[in-house]
Amino acid sequence: MSTHGHSDKFVYHEPGLQHQFSDMEQQEESVSIGMWMFLVQEIMFFGGLFTAYLVFRSKYPMAFAAGSNHLDAFWGGLNTIVLIVSSLTMALTVYYAQKGNRNLQVIFIILTMLFGATFLGVKAIEYNDKYHHGLVPIAGLNLRAKGTAGAEQHPEGKPCWEVAGHSAEPAAEHQYVNPKGEFEWADCSLAKLAQDEGYLTTAEQIGYFSNGELDGNKFRDKVRIFYYLYFVMTGLHALHMIVGLLLMTWLLWTAYKGYYNADYYMPVEMSGLYWHFVDIVWIFLFPLLYLLGRHFLHAGH
Amino acid sequence: MAEHHHENDHEHIAIPGYLGVFAVLIVGTILTYFVATIDLDWIFPGANTLVALLIAFTKMACVMLFFMHVRWSPRLIWLAVAASFFWLAIMFAYVMQDYLTRSTGVFTQ
Repeated sequence: MSTHGHSDKFVYHEPGLQHQFSDMEQQEESVSIGMWMFLVQEIMFFGGLFTAYLVFRSKYPMAFAAGSNHLDAFWGGLNTIVLIVSSLTMALTVYYAQKGNRNLQVIFIILTMLFGATFLGVKAIEYNDKYHHGLVPIAGLNLRAKGTAGAEQHPEGKPCWEVAGHSAEPAAEHQYVNPKGEFEWADCSLAKLAQDEGYLTTAEQIGYFSNGELDGNKFRDKVRIFYYLYFVMTGLHALHMIVGLLLMTWLLWTAYKGYYNADYYMPVEMSGLYWHFVDIVWIFLFPLLYLLGRHFLHAGH
Repeated sequence: MAEHHHENDHEHIAIPGYLGVFAVLIVGTILTYFVATIDLDWIFPGANTLVALLIAFTKMACVMLFFMHVRWSPRLIWLAVAASFFWLAIMFAYVMQDYLTRSTGVFTQ
């Protein structure tokens, strides 16, 4: 790599070169290694949550599968596709920045922002659904609903594995009663299935049972762990999307002003790295949160 | 790395290349969904998750190599990427070797 090789008669500086770097190549390499160091820390940041997921899922796999089956894989899948399209438009933004094409740059930044906003909109629909079904894991943060007189939340005398409460297709007659806005979960049929087929984990054999009987309340509290992780992981991811949209707003303005050209486009490339990173996190969140127990639904259990 | 940057050196892959990567990502997403609906527990319990993660890692590799231009990046970037996964693996491995070897505190079963 060339060090200070300037002649003292005439020093040519490329317009985008900051004074602390000797040439564009060194500047680009420094900027991208800095951005990658930031992304490595982001990987560790999300990695902590994936570790928590790993620990609790390995302890209570059936509660996780039950919780996951209630998430809507259609919305999750749609959001995955929306993010992949936005990744493509982001990659094309960088491509046209390298080409020095201002108009296409601006168009693709706007498209990227539109897809980013669509993602957040779908997320809002999903969170709203959780709010209306008593699935926010913090007491009091769910929709409060007083039942009509005599309405029972859990059909009296029915064991929890025969309740069709929060299964994938709630029974039509099931009425939402939740006077204090608490986390609610009635269906423990997957725990029953694992018990019958003999593959409960040791933690499950203790964690789901009271006096040798499947306990709906104890199972609910394990499903609740899944929903805690769901909200923290997707919430943190959504926060990154919001930051990404702010970044895109700034990028849109500077691109519109024509700051970037074939010689200087690093801000576009670095914002792209961030955007793609957020996409990668979702690539893992989608199967791990939305699809992990899906095969139980389709296997006819 | 020591060589000088040429004018069109940073062009990486042209638009057909980006569209190809995009197609792989979309197919991967659809495949993830349909594989998740098939019960693979007859292979071994948790086989579904393994397949889902394999697809996710493939998709991630495509995004990193081509969209994030790691494919054309200096070795230092490759090192940063590899180190981050290595550190992540340390975190998973050490946490799990703790949790998987703990007693439950109950001496039945």
